[in-house]
Amino acid sequence: MIEGTLVDLVPFEDDFATYLETWMNEEAWFRAHLWERREPHTEHDVKKFIERMEKDERGALIGFQAKSGDPIGALIFDHEWPRVRKAEARFFAGDSRYEGCDEVLDALLMLVRYCFETRNLHRLDAVALPFDEAKLDHLRRAGFVHEGTLRRHIRWDGDYVDMEMFGLLESEWPGYAAKVAELGLQPSGLEPKPKPEKKDEKKDGTG
Amino acid sequence: MLEGLLVDLVPYGKAFQDLDHRWMNSEASFWSSGGERHFMSEAMVAARHAQWAEERERTGGGSGVGFGVQTKDGKPLGYFGINWLAPAHRLAMLGAKIGEPEYWGGGYGTDALLLLLDYTFDWLDVRKAWLMTTSMNARVMRQMEKVGFRLEVRQRQSALADGVWYDWLAYGLLRDEWAGRATLVEQLGLRERAAALGSGAK
Ligand SMILES: CC(C)(COP(=O)(O)OP(=O)(O)OC[C@H]1O[C@@H](n2cnc3c(N)ncnc32)[C@H](O)[C@@H]1OP(=O)(O)O)[C@@H](O)C(=O)NCCC(=O)NCCS
Repeated sequence: MIEGTLVDLVPFEDDFATYLETWMNEEAWFRAHLWERREPHTEHDVKKFIERMEKDERGALIGFQAKSGDPIGALIFDHEWPRVRKAEARFFAGDSRYEGCDEVLDALLMLVRYCFETRNLHRLDAVALPFDEAKLDHLRRAGFVHEGTLRRHIRWDGDYVDMEMFGLLESEWPGYAAKVAELGLQPSGLEPKPKPEKKDEKKDGTG
Repeated sequence: MLEGLLVDLVPYGKAFQDLDHRWMNSEASFWSSGGERHFMSEAMVAARHAQWAEERERTGGGSGVGFGVQTKDGKPLGYFGINWLAPAHRLAMLGAKIGEPEYWGGGYGTDALLLLLDYTFDWLDVRKAWLMTTSMNARVMRQMEKVGFRLEVRQRQSALADGVWYDWLAYGLLRDEWAGRATLVEQLGLRERAAALGSGAK
């Protein structure tokens, strides 16, 4: 675990995996994985995804939760390129109540902190859709620089849409503490959601 | 075979694969990879070919379309192709590597690119072609300008070559911006270029 200001980063344990079965079929997921074809993700797909990320030497799947322990979403750094010390930063609020809240911004800052201050990366890439206001706002406030627009790059809901491309260099990062002091993060005060029920294997229809 | 004026695009067959070892370890790979220096043995290159073949077999074609590029008299020069085709988005990412440095800057690459774009838009019904290169690669930048691509993104300090940081650049060409091969052949004077070669020493 790494403790942040409004959220903590934790290993992607079972409760996260249970939530992910819902999250992976919701809007926030697809906005964070904009190349995907919006195929429905079954339980099996979710398991496979987690397994792949666990084995991935160039990436990691990290959970983030509120100080109350309420799981909020996932951070993914991926495609780490050791020679140029860069990676792609992805984040999403699985629990949509937190969308646009400073908890998600803090999670992004924590991901940046982890990548620069622990993994010794030099640069992070990030992508957002032009109408994803919450994500654009978080990226800008975290200090990411808009580096251009891939014009009409992908298919999205009946149209071809742009992809907004961002980058952040280690030399532009003032450090986590300084960034938090500058931003004045505010907790959302949302109530933790009830814990998901533990699944009974035998009711799955497999037994 | 896609027939051009200075080059033809042909299957990436044995004649090309046999040269891959030299090309992989050469200056051409340094430029195409944005600063990587490969040390690949014959065995490593062969393993890579086997892996590509297996992938194509498994996926029924693979995720791209690769061509060999050769001179009009059949000398293999390198690779031109779609490295990644995303049918759901009707989007094609292109890649190129002329392995023989003495042919760089001679117009061969532009002739090949026009053939590839023609194929990409007219046969595959792709909507956008794009590619990435680094800010040290003046030949590609010039080529993009000639063919009408737009510079869309500049990823600062994302490429390292011989100890110097460069940017990766993303260039895009939408189908409705594509002037068409015939128009560009005229505009860029490729016929004259081909004629000059024909009357030259070779
Ligand atoms: C990129 C590549 C395919 C282009 O093919 P090419 O045959 O060299 O390209 P062309 O000659 O058609 O066009 C290159 C243009 O750059 C110009 N050029 C050449 N060297 C240059 C330099 N140092 N600075 C500026 N312009 C230069 C050429 O004069 C030409 O422009 P012109 O037609 O107006 O004279 C080829 O050079 C190559 O394979 N290079 C090595 C690998 C590589 O870089 N791959 C691409 C990775 S994205």
